[in-house]
Amino acid sequence: MLPPFALYRPSSLAEVADLLAAHRRDAALYAGGTELLLLLKEGLLRVQCLVDVKRVPGLAEIAAEGEVLRIGATARHRTVERSALVRARCPLVADVARHVANVRVRNVGTVGGNLAFADPHSDLATLYLTLDGMVRLWSRAGERDVALEEFLRGPYETAREEDEVLTAVRVRPWPAGTAGVYLKFGLYERPTLGVALAVSVDARGRVAAARLAVGCVGPRPRRFPAVEAEARGQTLGELAADAERLARAAAEGVDTTSDTHGSADYKRDMTRVFVRRALRIVAARAGGQEPHARYPHTIVV
Amino acid sequence: MPDTRTPSSFSITLSVNGRAVALDVPAHALLLDVLRDRLGLKGAKRSCDVQVCGACTVLVAGAPVSACTYLAVEADGLDVLTVEGLGSGERLDPLQEAFIEHGAVQCGFCTSGMLVAAKALLAEEPAPAPERVVHHLRGNLCRCTGYRKVVEAVVACGRASGERP
Amino acid sequence: MHVTREVAVAAAPPALWALLWDVPRMVECVPGCVEAREIEAHRRYVARMQQKVGPISLSAPLEVHVVEMEPERRLALEARGRDPVVGAEITLRVALGIEGRDGASLLRIDAEGRVLGKLGALGHGVIQKKAEEAVDEFGARLRRAAEA
Repeated sequence: MLPPFALYRPSSLAEVADLLAAHRRDAALYAGGTELLLLLKEGLLRVQCLVDVKRVPGLAEIAAEGEVLRIGATARHRTVERSALVRARCPLVADVARHVANVRVRNVGTVGGNLAFADPHSDLATLYLTLDGMVRLWSRAGERDVALEEFLRGPYETAREEDEVLTAVRVRPWPAGTAGVYLKFGLYERPTLGVALAVSVDARGRVAAARLAVGCVGPRPRRFPAVEAEARGQTLGELAADAERLARAAAEGVDTTSDTHGSADYKRDMTRVFVRRALRIVAARAGGQEPHARYPHTIVV
Repeated sequence: MPDTRTPSSFSITLSVNGRAVALDVPAHALLLDVLRDRLGLKGAKRSCDVQVCGACTVLVAGAPVSACTYLAVEADGLDVLTVEGLGSGERLDPLQEAFIEHGAVQCGFCTSGMLVAAKALLAEEPAPAPERVVHHLRGNLCRCTGYRKVVEAVVACGRASGERP
Repeated sequence: MHVTREVAVAAAPPALWALLWDVPRMVECVPGCVEAREIEAHRRYVARMQQKVGPISLSAPLEVHVVEMEPERRLALEARGRDPVVGAEITLRVALGIEGRDGASLLRIDAEGRVLGKLGALGHGVIQKKAEEAVDEFGARLRRAAEA
């Protein structure tokens, strides 16, 4: 049972703003509700009303803006999974959406809700960090874009102010000649560890750029600029051979938190293992091979 | 349509297993409670209550949702399918028959969720490969069968549907 | 959760010790403490703790008992309270040790605590991190207050 609340269904952002201003901490923004309704059920959150943003036009839209892909806040994971545009521009985004949680959550949960809730165990946040993810926040005072890196402050904490609405996230697909992978590890509903890695190779067959993000193991997902810099200039063969060393460097720098998924040390060690695996898979993919990679309790995207 | 004087209460109309149903529900009513307590459809179960186990799976507009974590008002104007909507009268749905034939039911607690989820899959992919069934049913937990018979039943039902007139 | 820290304070042990019993100044030093009152000097106090984790707010009245006291050297207290809204039970044990060194002090902080209830289960990993941040902040504020 849920505690009672009123449900408002505004049809414009201006109406949303009015409702938030009128109710402030007594209101919660609501889209899919896959996180919100759980908090209400557990009694961890108490509100007088829900402000449903699903009827605001344009908020669910997925569109290309030049090179950038805009995913509307109320787009369901399932819609992203099946979007021809996403598949064409950034197939890994569609493929990772296909593995979020379970099929029921994918049908109901939204991209915006996932990012705004900032659960540390998030696939999307980890992957989007490698895609220059930018979050758009709207309020009556105006709109602002915040880099995902800055938007995610910590567990369940974002840069969104109380009067702001997350309306979209923008991602920049990787350039041609980039191979990527997302590794998702865990035995539970939420992932224990997520590694997103993309490696762009130049005409000489050397790494021009690497993008590595590790998430779910600590307060928020992070990039590894030092490890990325080490990967630059290597051939694919060198990268595969260097995978253990690079993975160890990532493990040394990762911020892990002990919780019911495992100890901080365990997660640090798993970071090493999965970054190594990711490097080898991407080196193979960049070379046109699809490695037969199967690991226990792991989804290889 | 919401009664705008009191956005805490809504009059909704949905089609449940093909039958039109009109109800007044509070905003905070969960679909699972409306189905079980107002409509007497006990097939969907409250099990984990946190949308993880799938025992409460029902279809809304053909898509599986966790009824335990889904507001009833969201189903307004849409088709809802529960396990009671499979088959008709004395005739079982081929999927239900396949479950029996393949021994995919033990205690039965997860079964209604499994059937409904599988039904949605077969509507989209009439003859899915085993990996597709495993992927789609990943969110439906079973403590008894070890899943193998469930997957076999769904795959077999899919294959057989290609042979049915 | 369990957090230990050492803080160097440029104040002699007597001054630091006196500060620990100055309730209004201590309220300012403890992150999340919004009020405190002395019930029985050097023995019992009541306080209110507030903390926010994302959308979840925690607010609990605490009963604080001094369980160990060695003037100018050691202080240990136990606190217990409950947030009825969120259903979280909080127990804390904080031990403070003061070691004098050349007119300055080394403060050792040893904080142990538990949050029981749904928040404790869900927020497990978050609570340790928050506790570490809180103890670090406490040490910094205490040092500033003692050196002022």
